[in-house]
Amino acid sequence: MNFLKVIFFVFIKDIKDELRRKENILSSLFFQLLSLVLIHFAVDMTSIDLSKEGAGLMWLIIIFAGTIFMQNIFRKEEENGVFLALLLAPVDRAAIYLAKFFVSFIFLTILEVFLFFLSFFFFGAAVFDSPLQLLILAIGVNVGFSALGTLISSLLINQKGSSILYPLLLYPLLFPLFAAAAALTQSTLKSSLAFSDPWLRLIILFDIIFLAVSSMLFESAVEE
Amino acid sequence: MILKKLLRKWATLFSILALFTNILALLMVFFYAPTEVQMGEVQKIFYYHVPCAIASYFMVFISFVFSIAFLVKKDEKYDIWAYAGAEVGLVFILCVLVSGPIWGKAAWGKWWVWEPRLTTFLIIFLIYFSYILVRIFGKQDTKTLKVASVFSIIGFLDVPLVNRAVYWWGSIVHPKSVSLEPQMKLTFFVSLLSVIILSLSFLFWRVSVDERVIDND
Repeated sequence: MNFLKVIFFVFIKDIKDELRRKENILSSLFFQLLSLVLIHFAVDMTSIDLSKEGAGLMWLIIIFAGTIFMQNIFRKEEENGVFLALLLAPVDRAAIYLAKFFVSFIFLTILEVFLFFLSFFFFGAAVFDSPLQLLILAIGVNVGFSALGTLISSLLINQKGSSILYPLLLYPLLFPLFAAAAALTQSTLKSSLAFSDPWLRLIILFDIIFLAVSSMLFESAVEE
Repeated sequence: MILKKLLRKWATLFSILALFTNILALLMVFFYAPTEVQMGEVQKIFYYHVPCAIASYFMVFISFVFSIAFLVKKDEKYDIWAYAGAEVGLVFILCVLVSGPIWGKAAWGKWWVWEPRLTTFLIIFLIYFSYILVRIFGKQDTKTLKVASVFSIIGFLDVPLVNRAVYWWGSIVHPKSVSLEPQMKLTFFVSLLSVIILSLSFLFWRVSVDERVIDND
């Protein structure tokens, strides 16, 4: 079957399944709301300043919520034994990885949009001062985050202690992306997003390296 | 097939070499290299702190190369080397993280300063500690070996990005380039050689004690 067709079919299957079950996306969205309420009481915060530490706080919530979503991205196939069937299908495994990557990417974007609205509503965060730039930044971060998150999730299929191992493996690797996202969110509110910005270049480099490497390594990761 | 007897020969040879070069390096550090004017005796940590950092990069590079070899060739002997490289690398990363704060306390009056190079090593430590956790938590099956190999590869590729991110994030406290007196330079290179030899002896010992290594006695 054509490479793009495989991506499309697996992607549609997963989106439909996710929308039918809703458990993954709903728990992630609820986690974001919960985090914001906890933050209010933990640090006595009434407003989030995105030009300062508020940016880091937002990305921290996104990383945690994204973890909840992505660590379960292969769960349903694992539970029903569908994953083995998927691997037995005569299709390129990189296409399966890319389909899962796109599902993670789409849902991460939904999580971010929801969090931006929530932080604006509860804390008056200036997310609508430069919404397009923030969206471009979010897309850049989501590529790298989804690439690594999906790969690590696939590595831990049928692995003992996978729910503990998932964040332990993912977070140290995400450090450059997280630092760049927080720094760029702070600066985008002061000036426009420029390609010459070293942080933006770091995000692009991170995305390219890990999307390419993860696509290549997926086959080895899932091979029985 | 890796032969235990041969490995032990190499490990012993490198251990003896490490002993002599380290004695020489320590003698040079304390009796040959001049004492730095501003920091005094504490500066002498430099002669082991920096070589430990270089040795740890060398070891994680070995782990990276053998992880690729394992995934390509699917032969467990490569995994033995990859695992050993990561473990020995982690030991030297810990040496950097211990000697760094001792230096920091003397230089800046605090045990921990979020200084770029030290912070980079803290994150590299987290990456390779996670690698070790995979090995500890996982079953001793091919799947775990694959997980560890893939993680070692992406972990190593992440190191330069971590390094850049930490530099841009924090202020640079370490000097970009260090100008050393000729005697200091010579002492540094002898220390570097001694630590590299020591790391190789650790690597050979670690591989030789792996239960998958066949005893050819």
